[in-house]
Parts: sequence; structure tokens; C-alpha cells
Amino acid sequence: MTVVACLKWVIPRVDDDDRFAGISAADQSALEFALLSARPGEDVVAVSAGPLGAERALRDAVACGLSRAIRIDLDPRASSSAVASSIASAVAGARLVWCGDYSLDRGTGSMPGFLAARLGIGQALGLIDVTIGDDSMSVVRRLDGARREIMRVTGPAVLSVEGSTARLRRASLRGVLAADNAIIDVIAGMSSPIDAVDEKPYRPRARALAAPSGTSALDRVRSLTDAGTATQRSETVVLDPPEAAARIVGALRDWGYLG
Amino acid sequence: MNRPDANDADVIVVGAGPAGSCAAIAAARAGRRVILIERGPFPGSKNMYGGVVYPRILDELVPRWWETAPVQRWVVRRSTMILSETGALSVDYRSNAWGQPPYNGATAYRPDFDEWLSRQAVAAGAQLVTSTTVTGLLRDASGRVVGVRTDRPDGDLTASVVIACDGVNSFLAKEAGLYSATDPSNFTLGVKETLALPKHVIDERFGVRDDQGVDIEILGGTSGVNGGGFVYTNLDTIALGVVLKLPKLAAQKKRPEEIIATLKAHPAIAPLIEGAEVKEYSAHVIPEAGYSMMPTMVTDGMVVAGDAAALCLAAGIWLEGVNFAMASGMCAGEAAAAAVARNDVSAKGLAPYTDKLNATFVLRDHKKLRKVPGLVLSDRVQQRYPAFVTSVVERVFRVDNPQPKPGLRRIVRQERKRAGIKLSELIRDGWTGLRGFG
Amino acid sequence: MTAIDRDTNWPEISFEERIGTAEFRIHERAHIVVDGDTCRGCSTRECVVACPANLFVPTSDGGILFNYENCFECGTCYLVCNKEGAISWSYPEGGFGIVFHRT
Repeated sequence: MTVVACLKWVIPRVDDDDRFAGISAADQSALEFALLSARPGEDVVAVSAGPLGAERALRDAVACGLSRAIRIDLDPRASSSAVASSIASAVAGARLVWCGDYSLDRGTGSMPGFLAARLGIGQALGLIDVTIGDDSMSVVRRLDGARREIMRVTGPAVLSVEGSTARLRRASLRGVLAADNAIIDVIAGMSSPIDAVDEKPYRPRARALAAPSGTSALDRVRSLTDAGTATQRSETVVLDPPEAAARIVGALRDWGYLG
Repeated sequence: MNRPDANDADVIVVGAGPAGSCAAIAAARAGRRVILIERGPFPGSKNMYGGVVYPRILDELVPRWWETAPVQRWVVRRSTMILSETGALSVDYRSNAWGQPPYNGATAYRPDFDEWLSRQAVAAGAQLVTSTTVTGLLRDASGRVVGVRTDRPDGDLTASVVIACDGVNSFLAKEAGLYSATDPSNFTLGVKETLALPKHVIDERFGVRDDQGVDIEILGGTSGVNGGGFVYTNLDTIALGVVLKLPKLAAQKKRPEEIIATLKAHPAIAPLIEGAEVKEYSAHVIPEAGYSMMPTMVTDGMVVAGDAAALCLAAGIWLEGVNFAMASGMCAGEAAAAAVARNDVSAKGLAPYTDKLNATFVLRDHKKLRKVPGLVLSDRVQQRYPAFVTSVVERVFRVDNPQPKPGLRRIVRQERKRAGIKLSELIRDGWTGLRGFG
Repeated sequence: MTAIDRDTNWPEISFEERIGTAEFRIHERAHIVVDGDTCRGCSTRECVVACPANLFVPTSDGGILFNYENCFECGTCYLVCNKEGAISWSYPEGGFGIVFHRT
């Protein structure tokens, strides 16, 4: 069996080059968990889908004690789906696949989900805490509204972690020297059934507004903004504290905020 | 003595700056196993300077270096500027020949230049290890240096010779006892701003085109703190900064960035940089005192090169460091390789390094100009002469009709007195300068 | 911050903006350590004036507050300090600290 860490090689600032590139804190955590979660005799493999420069990140990972490193030769702009398809074909049969929760550049966080689907294994994504046991792992996932979900992972799964979950070990000097000559397997990337055609920053669509009514500028501004007109969203009541509390709880329940 | 082939390397070079990379190139070319250790994530990432490099010394190590070196602009104009409170006197020389091979000076970013140079070392066969800080020396029972300790787990490395190119703070040279004491007045602090402007604006303001560049050294304009200033043109940025004598800076109660701000507001400087955006602020210490502060260069199993050996020339009109670093590194690499080959890496076996430095510009320039750094940073040159010289020139060029033109001798005498400079001091400094500049 | 506007209305940037132009990869271990007791007896405070990154701040009780995160690793502080052993200074762990881009 193998344990896999997926690492994304990113150049954080637009006007920088390879020298300033690296992997995110989340990916470093993923690599550390891959090393920690491997059972005796299991291989730990790092995979990166990206250009030649990504091999430096893979060498750094090898220096930390990997069994093998694979670079999937893929355009850095390839879609999450294409990346997931390529990684899935490279690491089929893996027991655990660790990823950062989302990349520093695109940041959709969708690759781990695609990857679990392609591999046909479970997923536990966006983890903020991981406890590795002998037979299973206890992991904690962040939910909306400051809630937490605690899960047990017993079988093959894709796990994505936040950056603060683990600090990557420091590679030994011998490891670093040896990694210089490590062989990085390079395989061709795959296309995917779903592909991003274009990617651009979000821009709200323009919406046509009817000209406001009113004779004076002030009236027109009022009609545009609803300023000074009573809305139905607020209500002032004067009540004793216990009644006020009951009223607030009732209102919250009516509006669907309380279960 | 260890068997040399049991060592991790023949030569360990600490620091992949210009000295370290040239040392690694020279030692690797001589067939030695070389490990080059750099504490930054890539070579050059910790390095900062004014902005001009004189790479002719590379002719030997990297033939036709100018075809691949990451140069911003080739310097075709050099100015020395003396600033008073509101006036400026410039001596400006232009030679478009400097913009053709084999070139003279070039502006370059150190993260670019040093990284490029380290790649030449790797191509020559050296093994480069980055993100690794050397924390100390390994020594045998006799005290001979036999390797280095790094901050990585399992981080000791052994070698026949260690070449310390670990920069101005050289903890290794200090640990080896090669410096007698650290005197803050031997050092200056360099602070600069990399200021972004469109290329065509820089071309127009500085009167250059294409890849031509300008080098301006400034005396005065440092808010009364002994030191100097500089303005250099990169392709689409301007490097503007000041060099400040450490004890004076601390005593004058002026912060470095305030001194830069004052220089930027000087009427002779402000129009050059108007509208520019601060792209990067940076700082570094410079071993300014030259020959008088240099350490012992050689000990058993170790030599020192570059800034670590205080091989930085700050002699007023000449501000050079990278070329001295590269040359000393080259000599160190050659001497270390030869010592390993002869199986004598004692201080005596490594002594040819010092001989080489003495035989080349590296120490000859420093010896010849050894009085100049002190003179340039002296209180009189710093505090009184700029105002004196600019007011003399101001009166020479001012047309006060209907007053007749005054005699030059009288102007000089009057302005000298006004600046509070004794004739005897002027003559003595002039003589020191004449002799110092040779 | 006082920029002297002698010729132009130069828009000076704040120190925070200035230091924000440099990239620092911060390690959890402080590579500068200041001995507060020694500093309480210091009246000259060279480090406070000279540090180009403005890392040393005097406190009202006569001590020195320091941080190491935005350090250029230049060495000015320990060179100007006239109190033996007040500032312990080493390089940060390899790969961390200042990363210059266009210097």
C-alpha cells in the first residue's frame, strides 16, 4: 500500500519567477501527515502536477524521507479536474492521499474532491485537526457557523488539511544532499471529462435600473436608497427582560436560525 | 589527520554570494569535490548592495559572461555629486564605449546576479545546498578546521578546507579567531529604496536609451551623518540609497529612512524620482574601513573571502565590493584546490591564497587606497567641504552685475573661512587625498 | 516620520508600508534575543535609532521591546550596541527570514 502527498508548485506573486516558488503551508502539512500516517513497510509518494520547476519541491520532499516522487507534466493552468484525473491514474490503489485544502493561486479547493471521485474512495476535506491512531484516524472538519464535525477514517480516503495543522519536519543534511540525485518519475498529464476553458476574476454583472422618480435630487436619491422610509425588517417593542428574551428566541425560530 | 577521501567533500564553501560561487567554480574546475552551502532559499536572496557590479574579473571564470549575466543596464554615465543644503555640484562623465563589450560597470539585482553565478558553480560540478545555515566550525584536537556544523538534523559536514564567504557578519571568521575585535566605526549601514518608474521615463530623465545606465555617487545629503548617497538606474526601477557610518548614525538620533526621505526631497534629486513608487526597501551592513580592518585571511583548514574578509572598497569615487568578492573567491578556490592536491591544508599550505591577493588588484587597490576611506568619512570632508565647495562654485557662476566678477582666490579664501576650514587642514587633507588616490 | 518637504510635496509612505515592500519568511524561533535587564541601564539606545527595520522600541519602564520578524539580518543592532551581551544575534533558520527580490 502507499500513502500519497499531493503538492502544488506555486509562484505566489504575479511578477515573480521560479526562485520564489514553493508549496503552501497546507501542502507542507499534507506532506508531514503523509510521512506520519504511513505504516511500517508502506511507501510514501509525493506527486506534483506542474512544470519542470516543480521538481525542486519534489526534491525537497524527497529529502524529508519519501520513497518516490512523481511529476505529472501538466500545464500549470490545467483544471482541477484534469489534475485530479492525472494524479488518480498515477496513484491508483493508494490507501491515503493527503492534499492541502486549497492552492495558493487558484484556490477553489476542488481538486481533492475530484480526486476522491476518480479514485472511488472516501473523502474528508478541509481538516483542521488530525489524530493518527493504529487502525484509524480521528479528524476534525470545519463547518459553517463555527461548528465542527469529528470523523473517523478507517478505509482508503482523500484527506485535505489546512495549513496550520502540522509543521513539516526539517530535512536532514544527508537527505538534502542525497535528494539532489534522486530520480523524479515524470509522466504525461491526462485530459479530463470536465475542463476549465477560461478563468477570470469575478465581476458582478451590470444591472439595468429604472430612472428614479421624484422631482428633486433629494427625492430621487431617497427613492433609490429607501433612505428614511420605514421597512418591514425592523420592529421596536418595549418588554420586560424575560419577555424580550422569549420574543427574540421566538423570532429567531420563526426566521429559521434555530433548529 | 583524517583521510581526505573519507571527508564529505574536499572543499566546503559557506555562502553562495559572489565570493562563494567563484570559490566553488575555481575549486570544482580544479577537480575537487565541492559543496556550496547557502542559508537563503536561493543564492542572492539575502544579498543587497548599492547596485553596480564590475564583472571583468569573470573573463577568466565565465568567458563571455555578458551574454548570459542578468544585467539591468550597462553604465555609460558616471557622476560624482556634491550636495549642500540646496545646491549640487556634479562631475559627470559619459562614454558610450562602456555600453559595448567587454563593458565596464553594470547595474544588476543581486538576487538575479548571485543566483546566475551560483548556477555557473553548479555547472562546474559543485553541489549547491540551499536553506541551510552554517552554525559553527568543526575542529580537530589541534584546532584545525575540519568542517562545518549546520542547522539541519544530522547536519555536520567534513572537508579538507572550509572557505568562509559568509558575509560581513562572518561568524565563522570570528569563531576561528581571525578578527581581533569588532569596532563599529569600521562599518556603515547601507539602506536603499528600489523605486519603480516606467523605462521610458528613466531613459528621459537620465539621458540614456536602450540598456544604457547611470551611476551617481553622492557626497553630502545624508542629514549630517557621515556617509554618502547613490542613485543607480535599473531597467524600470531606480536604486536610491544612503550609506551611513554606524556610530554617527546612532549618535545623531536620525532614523535611516528619514535620511533617505531627506535625500529624496533634495532639489537635485527630487525631479529624478518624482512619481516613483517604493517597490522594495532594503538594508545591509558594509565593511567600510578597508585595509585597516581586514582579518587574518588564512588559518589551518580555512580561508576567508569577500565581505567576510572585509574586501570591500569604499574610497569615495570608487565603491566596489562584488568584484573584490569574486576575485578573492576565485583566488581562495584555486589555493584551496591546490592545497588539497598537495595534501597540505595547514595555514602554510593555504598561504598562496594571501600571496595571490597581494599580487592582484584585490589587496593592491586596498593597500594603495588604505587612507582614503578614513578621509572620505572624516568630519571635515563630510560636514564642511560640501558646503565650501558648492558655495565657491555658486559664486563663480553667479553673475552679480553691475558688480564686477570677484577673483577666484578671494572667493576661495572667504568661503573657506565661512565654512570654518583652516588652510593648514585643507592642505593636509588635499595632500592625503592626492597621496591616497595615488 | 518626518520627511522634509523642501522642493516637492513628496508623498512619504508609512513605515508599515515601507517594511511591507520586503518579503519576510517568518520562523517561530526568534533569532534576536535582547537582555531586558541590561537594556534598562542603557541611556543611549543606539539600536532604537539605527535599526533600519525599526525592530527596537523603548518601553515606558525603561526596557526595550524588540521583534525579530521583519529583520533584514544586517547586524547593525549588535554592532552599534555598546552593552556587552545585551543583544544576542544569530541568523534565522536556513530558508527563513528576509528574501530580497530587487536589491
